Amino acid sequence: MPARTLIATVGFDERHVLPALRLLPYDRLVAVGGRDAFRAPAFRRLLSIEPDLQRFPVDPFDLQECMEAIERCVHVAQREGPVRISATGGTKILTMAAFLAAFQEGVEAWYCDGPPLRLPVLRGARLADAFPAAEAAIIVHLRKAMSLESLLAALTELGFARRTVMAAILSLGRKGLVQSSKRTGRDVVRPSPELASIRSHFAGRPGKA
Amino acid sequence: MAVLFGTLGWRPQSLVPSIRSTESLERLVFYHSDHAKSRDARAKVMEFCRSLGVPATGVELSDAFDLFACAGQIREDVRRERASSPDLRFNIAGGTRLMSCAALLVCLLEGIPATYVHDETYREIPLPLLRISYGATLTPKEREVLEFLVKNRDKPFSETTLARALGVHKATMNHHLRGLEAAGAVERRRDPADARRLILQASPGMELLVG
Repeated sequence: MPARTLIATVGFDERHVLPALRLLPYDRLVAVGGRDAFRAPAFRRLLSIEPDLQRFPVDPFDLQECMEAIERCVHVAQREGPVRISATGGTKILTMAAFLAAFQEGVEAWYCDGPPLRLPVLRGARLADAFPAAEAAIIVHLRKAMSLESLLAALTELGFARRTVMAAILSLGRKGLVQSSKRTGRDVVRPSPELASIRSHFAGRPGKA
Repeated sequence: MAVLFGTLGWRPQSLVPSIRSTESLERLVFYHSDHAKSRDARAKVMEFCRSLGVPATGVELSDAFDLFACAGQIREDVRRERASSPDLRFNIAGGTRLMSCAALLVCLLEGIPATYVHDETYREIPLPLLRISYGATLTPKEREVLEFLVKNRDKPFSETTLARALGVHKATMNHHLRGLEAAGAVERRRDPADARRLILQASPGMELLVG
Protein backbone atom coordinates (compact mmCIF):
# COMPACT_ATOMS: atom_id res chain seq x y z
CA MET A 1 0.00 0.00 0.00
CA PRO A 2 1.69 3.25 -1.11
CA ALA A 3 2.31 5.76 1.67
CA ARG A 4 1.11 9.32 0.97
CA THR A 5 3.55 11.97 2.13
CA LEU A 6 2.80 15.57 2.93
CA ILE A 7 5.84 17.87 3.05
CA ALA A 8 4.97 21.05 4.94
CA THR A 9 7.01 24.20 5.42
CA VAL A 10 6.75 25.31 9.06
CA GLY A 11 7.55 28.43 11.05
CA PHE A 12 6.64 29.78 14.44
CA ASP A 13 2.88 29.49 14.07
CA GLU A 14 1.38 26.03 13.70
CA ARG A 15 -1.88 27.60 12.49
CA HIS A 16 -0.26 27.97 9.06
CA VAL A 17 0.23 24.20 8.91
CA LEU A 18 -3.03 22.90 10.40
CA PRO A 19 -5.34 23.78 7.46
CA ALA A 20 -3.13 21.71 5.15
CA LEU A 21 -3.21 18.77 7.58
CA ARG A 22 -7.01 18.90 7.54
CA LEU A 23 -7.35 19.33 3.79
CA LEU A 24 -4.66 17.04 2.36
CA PRO A 25 -4.79 13.36 3.35
CA TYR A 26 -1.42 11.86 4.25
CA ASP A 27 0.20 8.85 5.90
CA ARG A 28 3.52 10.53 6.64
CA LEU A 29 4.18 14.13 7.55
CA VAL A 30 7.54 15.80 6.89
CA ALA A 31 8.18 19.27 8.32
CA VAL A 32 10.81 21.56 6.77
CA GLY A 33 11.67 24.64 8.78
CA GLY A 34 14.29 26.68 10.58
CA ARG A 35 16.13 25.22 13.57
CA ASP A 36 14.65 27.91 15.82
CA ALA A 37 11.16 27.06 14.62
CA PHE A 38 11.68 23.43 15.66
CA ARG A 39 12.53 24.57 19.19
CA ALA A 40 9.49 26.86 19.46
CA PRO A 41 6.27 26.10 21.42
CA ALA A 42 4.27 26.02 18.17
CA PHE A 43 6.29 23.07 16.92
CA ARG A 44 5.82 21.22 20.22
CA ARG A 45 2.07 21.69 19.82
CA LEU A 46 2.32 20.31 16.29
CA LEU A 47 4.30 17.33 17.59
CA SER A 48 1.58 16.62 20.14
CA ILE A 49 -0.85 16.25 17.23
CA GLU A 50 1.61 14.39 15.01
CA PRO A 51 4.23 12.67 17.16
CA ASP A 52 5.63 10.68 14.21
CA LEU A 53 6.36 13.65 12.01
CA GLN A 54 9.85 13.87 10.50
CA ARG A 55 11.69 17.13 10.72
CA PHE A 56 14.23 18.63 8.32
CA PRO A 57 15.97 21.70 9.69
CA VAL A 58 17.23 24.25 7.18
CA ASP A 59 18.43 27.85 7.12
CA PRO A 60 15.06 29.44 6.31
CA PHE A 61 16.80 32.42 4.69
CA ASP A 62 18.88 30.36 2.26
CA LEU A 63 16.71 29.62 -0.74
CA GLN A 64 19.13 27.14 -2.35
CA GLU A 65 19.44 25.12 0.87
CA CYS A 66 15.67 25.14 1.43
CA MET A 67 14.97 24.06 -2.13
CA GLU A 68 17.54 21.24 -2.07
CA ALA A 69 16.20 19.97 1.27
CA ILE A 70 12.63 19.91 -0.02
CA GLU A 71 13.70 18.20 -3.26
CA ARG A 72 15.59 15.55 -1.25
CA CYS A 73 12.46 14.96 0.83
CA VAL A 74 10.43 14.65 -2.39
CA HIS A 75 12.86 12.12 -3.94
CA VAL A 76 12.85 9.97 -0.81
CA ALA A 77 9.10 10.15 -0.33
CA GLN A 78 8.34 9.36 -3.99
CA ARG A 79 9.85 5.90 -3.50
CA GLU A 80 7.02 5.17 -1.06
CA GLY A 81 4.07 6.78 -2.82
CA PRO A 82 2.46 10.07 -3.88
CA VAL A 83 3.75 13.34 -2.47
CA ARG A 84 2.14 16.72 -1.84
CA ILE A 85 3.65 19.95 -0.60
CA SER A 86 2.15 22.58 1.66
CA ALA A 87 4.07 25.81 1.08
CA THR A 88 2.25 27.88 3.70
CA GLY A 89 4.40 28.07 6.84
CA GLY A 90 7.82 29.51 7.58
CA THR A 91 9.63 32.40 5.94
CA LYS A 92 8.79 33.80 2.52
CA ILE A 93 12.03 32.23 1.27
CA LEU A 94 10.87 28.82 2.49
CA THR A 95 7.53 29.27 0.73
CA MET A 96 9.24 30.24 -2.51
CA ALA A 97 11.68 27.34 -2.21
CA ALA A 98 8.75 24.94 -1.77
CA PHE A 99 7.00 26.52 -4.72
CA LEU A 100 10.09 26.19 -6.91
CA ALA A 101 10.73 22.61 -5.78
CA ALA A 102 7.10 21.71 -6.56
CA PHE A 103 7.44 23.09 -10.07
CA GLN A 104 10.77 21.46 -10.75
CA GLU A 105 9.71 18.06 -9.39
CA GLY A 106 6.14 18.09 -10.73
CA VAL A 107 4.61 17.71 -7.27
CA GLU A 108 1.15 18.95 -6.28
CA ALA A 109 1.50 22.00 -4.04
CA TRP A 110 -0.89 24.01 -1.92
CA TYR A 111 -0.94 27.33 -0.14
CA CYS A 112 -3.39 27.19 2.74
CA ASP A 113 -3.45 30.60 4.40
CA GLY A 114 -7.04 31.63 3.80
CA PRO A 115 -8.98 29.75 1.11
CA PRO A 116 -6.83 26.79 0.04
CA LEU A 117 -5.02 27.52 -3.20
CA ARG A 118 -3.61 24.78 -5.40
CA LEU A 119 -0.54 26.07 -7.20
CA PRO A 120 -0.57 25.65 -11.02
CA VAL A 121 1.90 22.78 -11.08
CA LEU A 122 1.48 19.94 -13.57
CA ARG A 123 1.79 16.71 -11.57
CA GLY A 124 4.56 14.52 -12.89
CA ALA A 125 6.04 17.24 -15.11
CA ARG A 126 9.61 17.33 -13.87
CA LEU A 127 12.30 19.77 -14.91
CA ALA A 128 14.51 16.86 -15.92
CA ASP A 129 11.92 15.52 -18.36
CA ALA A 130 12.19 18.66 -20.49
CA PHE A 131 15.75 17.74 -21.47
CA PRO A 132 16.58 15.15 -24.15
CA ALA A 133 18.74 12.21 -23.06
CA ALA A 134 21.99 13.62 -24.49
CA GLU A 135 21.54 16.96 -22.74
CA ALA A 136 20.71 15.19 -19.46
CA ALA A 137 23.85 13.06 -19.81
CA ILE A 138 26.00 16.17 -20.32
CA ILE A 139 24.41 17.85 -17.30
CA VAL A 140 25.31 14.85 -15.14
CA HIS A 141 28.80 14.39 -16.59
CA LEU A 142 30.07 17.97 -16.92
CA ARG A 143 31.15 18.91 -13.40
CA LYS A 144 34.10 21.11 -14.33
CA ALA A 145 35.73 22.50 -17.45
CA MET A 146 36.80 19.77 -19.82
CA SER A 147 38.03 19.59 -23.36
CA LEU A 148 35.38 19.09 -25.99
CA GLU A 149 37.11 15.91 -27.14
CA SER A 150 37.04 14.41 -23.64
CA LEU A 151 33.36 15.23 -23.29
CA LEU A 152 32.59 13.76 -26.71
CA ALA A 153 34.56 10.61 -25.86
CA ALA A 154 32.73 10.18 -22.55
CA LEU A 155 29.31 10.52 -24.11
CA THR A 156 29.96 8.39 -27.18
CA GLU A 157 30.96 5.67 -24.75
CA LEU A 158 27.46 5.95 -23.29
CA GLY A 159 26.04 5.31 -26.75
CA PHE A 160 25.39 8.83 -28.06
CA ALA A 161 26.41 9.81 -31.58
CA ARG A 162 28.99 12.63 -31.88
CA ARG A 163 26.55 14.75 -33.86
CA THR A 164 23.90 14.31 -31.16
CA VAL A 165 26.35 15.37 -28.46
CA MET A 166 27.45 18.44 -30.43
CA ALA A 167 23.83 19.46 -30.95
CA ALA A 168 23.16 18.93 -27.24
CA ILE A 169 26.11 21.13 -26.27
CA LEU A 170 24.84 23.90 -28.55
CA SER A 171 21.35 23.60 -27.12
CA LEU A 172 22.64 23.76 -23.55
CA GLY A 173 24.71 26.78 -24.51
CA ARG A 174 21.59 28.57 -25.75
CA LYS A 175 19.91 27.76 -22.43
CA GLY A 176 22.83 29.31 -20.57
CA LEU A 177 23.89 26.02 -18.98
CA VAL A 178 27.27 25.48 -20.62
CA GLN A 179 29.97 27.83 -21.88
CA SER A 180 32.37 27.03 -24.70
CA SER A 181 35.73 28.67 -25.17
CA LYS A 182 39.17 28.06 -26.61
CA ARG A 183 42.10 27.48 -24.28
CA THR A 184 45.62 26.96 -25.68
CA GLY A 185 44.13 26.08 -29.03
CA ARG A 186 41.71 23.45 -27.62
CA ASP A 187 37.94 23.74 -27.41
CA VAL A 188 36.84 23.67 -23.79
CA VAL A 189 33.35 23.24 -22.37
CA ARG A 190 32.49 24.30 -18.83
CA PRO A 191 29.33 24.16 -16.76
CA SER A 192 27.66 27.43 -15.84
CA PRO A 193 26.58 28.07 -12.20
CA GLU A 194 22.99 27.52 -13.34
CA LEU A 195 23.86 24.00 -14.52
CA ALA A 196 25.36 23.15 -11.14
CA SER A 197 22.15 24.30 -9.43
CA ILE A 198 19.91 21.94 -11.45
CA ARG A 199 22.18 18.88 -11.59
CA SER A 200 20.48 17.20 -8.61
CA HIS A 201 17.31 16.84 -10.72
CA PHE A 202 19.17 14.51 -13.05
CA ALA A 203 20.90 12.23 -10.57
CA GLY A 204 20.22 8.59 -11.34
CA ARG A 205 18.76 9.30 -14.76
CA PRO A 206 19.88 6.53 -17.16
CA GLY A 207 21.93 7.28 -20.27
CA LYS A 208 20.97 6.33 -23.80
CA ALA A 209 19.14 3.00 -23.90
CA MET B 1 19.54 48.75 -21.66
CA ALA B 2 17.84 46.77 -18.90
CA VAL B 3 14.35 47.04 -17.48
CA LEU B 4 14.01 46.01 -13.85
CA PHE B 5 10.78 44.62 -12.50
CA GLY B 6 10.16 44.21 -8.80
CA THR B 7 7.68 43.43 -6.07
CA LEU B 8 7.54 45.87 -3.17
CA GLY B 9 6.15 45.48 0.33
CA TRP B 10 6.71 47.87 3.20
CA ARG B 11 10.48 48.12 2.93
CA PRO B 12 12.16 49.97 0.06
CA GLN B 13 15.40 48.24 1.13
CA SER B 14 14.16 45.05 -0.55
CA LEU B 15 14.22 46.72 -3.97
CA VAL B 16 16.90 49.41 -3.73
CA PRO B 17 19.92 47.05 -3.99
CA SER B 18 18.68 45.84 -7.38
CA ILE B 19 18.10 49.40 -8.60
CA ARG B 20 21.69 50.20 -7.65
CA SER B 21 23.25 47.06 -9.09
CA THR B 22 21.46 46.84 -12.46
CA GLU B 23 23.80 48.09 -15.15
CA SER B 24 22.39 50.40 -17.79
CA LEU B 25 19.05 50.53 -16.00
CA GLU B 26 16.56 52.08 -18.38
CA ARG B 27 13.41 51.84 -16.33
CA LEU B 28 11.90 50.35 -13.18
CA VAL B 29 8.43 48.77 -12.98
CA PHE B 30 7.32 47.57 -9.56
CA TYR B 31 4.20 46.15 -8.00
CA HIS B 32 2.80 46.99 -4.59
CA SER B 33 -0.38 46.56 -2.59
CA ASP B 34 -2.93 49.16 -1.53
CA HIS B 35 -1.74 49.08 2.09
CA ALA B 36 -0.73 52.51 3.45
CA LYS B 37 2.79 51.27 4.32
CA SER B 38 3.21 49.87 0.85
CA ARG B 39 2.17 53.19 -0.66
CA ASP B 40 4.72 54.92 1.60
CA ALA B 41 7.40 52.54 0.39
CA ARG B 42 6.33 53.26 -3.17
CA ALA B 43 6.81 57.00 -2.61
CA LYS B 44 10.32 56.37 -1.24
CA VAL B 45 11.27 54.18 -4.19
CA MET B 46 9.94 56.75 -6.66
CA GLU B 47 11.93 59.49 -4.91
CA PHE B 48 15.07 57.34 -5.00
CA CYS B 49 14.63 56.67 -8.71
CA ARG B 50 14.05 60.39 -9.36
CA SER B 51 17.35 61.16 -7.63
CA LEU B 52 19.09 58.70 -9.97
CA GLY B 53 17.25 59.92 -13.06
CA VAL B 54 15.64 56.51 -13.60
CA PRO B 55 12.02 56.53 -14.80
CA ALA B 56 9.88 54.39 -12.52
CA THR B 57 6.31 53.09 -12.62
CA GLY B 58 4.61 51.81 -9.48
CA VAL B 59 1.67 49.50 -10.21
CA GLU B 60 -0.85 49.09 -7.41
CA LEU B 61 -2.30 45.59 -7.46
CA SER B 62 -6.03 45.35 -6.83
CA ASP B 63 -5.54 42.22 -4.70
CA ALA B 64 -2.06 41.43 -3.43
CA PHE B 65 -3.29 38.03 -2.20
CA ASP B 66 -4.64 36.77 -5.51
CA LEU B 67 -1.81 34.70 -6.97
CA PHE B 68 -3.36 34.16 -10.39
CA ALA B 69 -4.53 37.74 -10.89
CA CYS B 70 -1.10 39.08 -9.88
CA ALA B 71 0.71 36.58 -12.11
CA GLY B 72 -1.59 37.37 -15.03
CA GLN B 73 -1.01 41.10 -14.75
CA ILE B 74 2.72 40.78 -14.25
CA ARG B 75 3.03 38.44 -17.21
CA GLU B 76 1.08 40.80 -19.47
CA ASP B 77 3.32 43.70 -18.48
CA VAL B 78 6.49 41.65 -18.90
CA ARG B 79 5.49 40.50 -22.39
CA ARG B 80 4.62 44.03 -23.44
CA GLU B 81 7.93 45.32 -22.16
CA ARG B 82 9.87 42.51 -23.79
CA ALA B 83 8.70 43.62 -27.21
CA SER B 84 10.92 46.71 -26.93
CA SER B 85 13.46 45.72 -24.26
CA PRO B 86 14.72 42.15 -24.33
CA ASP B 87 16.93 42.57 -21.22
CA LEU B 88 14.58 42.14 -18.27
CA ARG B 89 15.39 41.40 -14.64
CA PHE B 90 13.08 40.75 -11.69
CA ASN B 91 13.55 41.37 -7.98
CA ILE B 92 10.93 39.20 -6.26
CA ALA B 93 11.83 39.98 -2.65
CA GLY B 94 9.13 42.42 -1.60
CA GLY B 95 5.39 42.32 -1.15
CA THR B 96 3.14 39.53 0.10
CA ARG B 97 4.15 35.91 -0.28
CA LEU B 98 1.65 35.48 -3.05
CA MET B 99 2.98 38.52 -4.90
CA SER B 100 6.50 37.07 -4.72
CA CYS B 101 5.25 33.65 -5.80
CA ALA B 102 3.34 35.23 -8.68
CA ALA B 103 6.50 37.02 -9.78
CA LEU B 104 8.49 33.80 -9.39
CA LEU B 105 5.98 31.95 -11.56
CA VAL B 106 6.23 34.57 -14.30
CA CYS B 107 10.04 34.43 -14.18
CA LEU B 108 9.89 30.63 -14.57
CA LEU B 109 7.50 30.79 -17.50
CA GLU B 110 9.17 33.69 -19.28
CA GLY B 111 12.79 32.84 -18.51
CA ILE B 112 13.59 36.09 -16.69
CA PRO B 113 16.60 36.23 -14.36
CA ALA B 114 15.32 36.72 -10.83
CA THR B 115 16.96 37.87 -7.63
CA TYR B 116 16.06 37.94 -3.99
CA VAL B 117 17.40 40.39 -1.42
CA HIS B 118 18.35 38.86 1.94
CA ASP B 119 16.16 40.20 4.72
CA GLU B 120 19.05 41.07 7.04
CA THR B 121 22.19 41.50 4.95
CA TYR B 122 20.40 43.10 1.94
CA ARG B 123 22.66 41.02 -0.26
CA GLU B 124 21.25 40.25 -3.68
CA ILE B 125 20.92 36.54 -4.33
CA PRO B 126 20.34 35.25 -7.88
CA LEU B 127 17.72 32.50 -8.04
CA PRO B 128 18.38 29.18 -9.79
CA LEU B 129 15.60 29.47 -12.35
CA LEU B 130 15.45 27.83 -15.71
CA ARG B 131 12.85 28.60 -18.31
CA ILE B 132 10.88 25.52 -19.10
CA SER B 133 7.72 25.41 -21.13
CA TYR B 134 5.61 23.44 -18.67
CA GLY B 135 2.77 23.19 -21.11
CA ALA B 136 5.11 21.29 -23.42
CA THR B 137 4.91 18.22 -21.20
CA LEU B 138 1.38 17.63 -22.44
CA THR B 139 0.74 15.86 -25.74
CA PRO B 140 -0.42 18.14 -28.58
CA LYS B 141 -3.98 16.80 -28.26
CA GLU B 142 -4.00 17.26 -24.48
CA ARG B 143 -2.75 20.79 -24.96
CA GLU B 144 -5.50 21.46 -27.50
CA VAL B 145 -8.17 20.21 -25.07
CA LEU B 146 -6.71 22.26 -22.21
CA GLU B 147 -6.46 25.42 -24.31
CA PHE B 148 -10.09 24.94 -25.38
CA LEU B 149 -11.23 24.57 -21.78
CA VAL B 150 -9.19 27.62 -20.71
CA LYS B 151 -10.70 29.71 -23.50
CA ASN B 152 -14.22 28.51 -22.63
CA ARG B 153 -13.92 28.58 -18.86
CA ASP B 154 -17.40 29.98 -18.37
CA LYS B 155 -19.15 27.32 -20.45
CA PRO B 156 -20.05 23.96 -18.90
CA PHE B 157 -18.74 21.09 -21.00
CA SER B 158 -19.44 17.44 -20.34
CA GLU B 159 -17.15 14.84 -21.81
CA THR B 160 -19.65 14.25 -24.62
CA THR B 161 -20.15 17.90 -25.56
CA LEU B 162 -16.41 18.49 -25.34
CA ALA B 163 -15.72 15.59 -27.70
CA ARG B 164 -18.32 16.96 -30.10
CA ALA B 165 -16.89 20.50 -29.92
CA LEU B 166 -13.40 19.26 -30.74
CA GLY B 167 -14.52 16.73 -33.33
CA VAL B 168 -13.18 13.60 -31.63
CA HIS B 169 -14.73 10.32 -30.55
CA LYS B 170 -15.87 10.21 -26.95
CA ALA B 171 -13.47 7.38 -26.13
CA THR B 172 -10.57 9.39 -27.54
CA MET B 173 -11.61 12.41 -25.48
CA ASN B 174 -11.78 10.21 -22.39
CA HIS B 175 -8.19 9.14 -23.02
CA HIS B 176 -6.98 12.75 -23.29
CA LEU B 177 -8.93 13.81 -20.23
CA ARG B 178 -7.47 11.04 -18.11
CA GLY B 179 -4.00 12.33 -18.92
CA LEU B 180 -5.00 15.90 -18.09
CA GLU B 181 -6.69 14.90 -14.84
CA ALA B 182 -3.65 12.88 -13.77
CA ALA B 183 -1.53 15.99 -14.32
CA GLY B 184 -3.99 18.09 -12.31
CA ALA B 185 -4.72 20.30 -15.30
CA VAL B 186 -8.45 19.50 -15.52
CA GLU B 187 -11.09 18.92 -12.84
CA ARG B 188 -14.50 17.30 -12.93
CA ARG B 189 -17.31 18.68 -10.82
CA ARG B 190 -21.07 18.47 -10.53
CA ASP B 191 -22.96 20.75 -12.90
CA PRO B 192 -24.75 23.27 -10.62
CA ALA B 193 -27.69 23.22 -13.06
CA ASP B 194 -27.94 19.42 -13.12
CA ALA B 195 -26.35 17.48 -10.28
CA ARG B 196 -26.46 14.26 -12.30
CA ARG B 197 -24.01 15.69 -14.81
CA LEU B 198 -20.27 16.03 -14.45
CA ILE B 199 -18.68 18.98 -16.16
CA LEU B 200 -15.07 19.59 -16.97
CA GLN B 201 -13.06 22.65 -16.15
CA ALA B 202 -9.47 23.72 -16.55
CA SER B 203 -7.88 23.88 -13.08
CA PRO B 204 -7.23 27.37 -11.72
CA GLY B 205 -4.10 28.95 -13.12
CA MET B 206 -3.87 26.84 -16.27
CA GLU B 207 -4.09 30.02 -18.33
CA LEU B 208 -0.60 30.76 -17.16
CA LEU B 209 0.81 27.41 -18.24
CA VAL B 210 -0.67 27.23 -21.71
CA GLY B 211 -0.76 30.94 -22.50
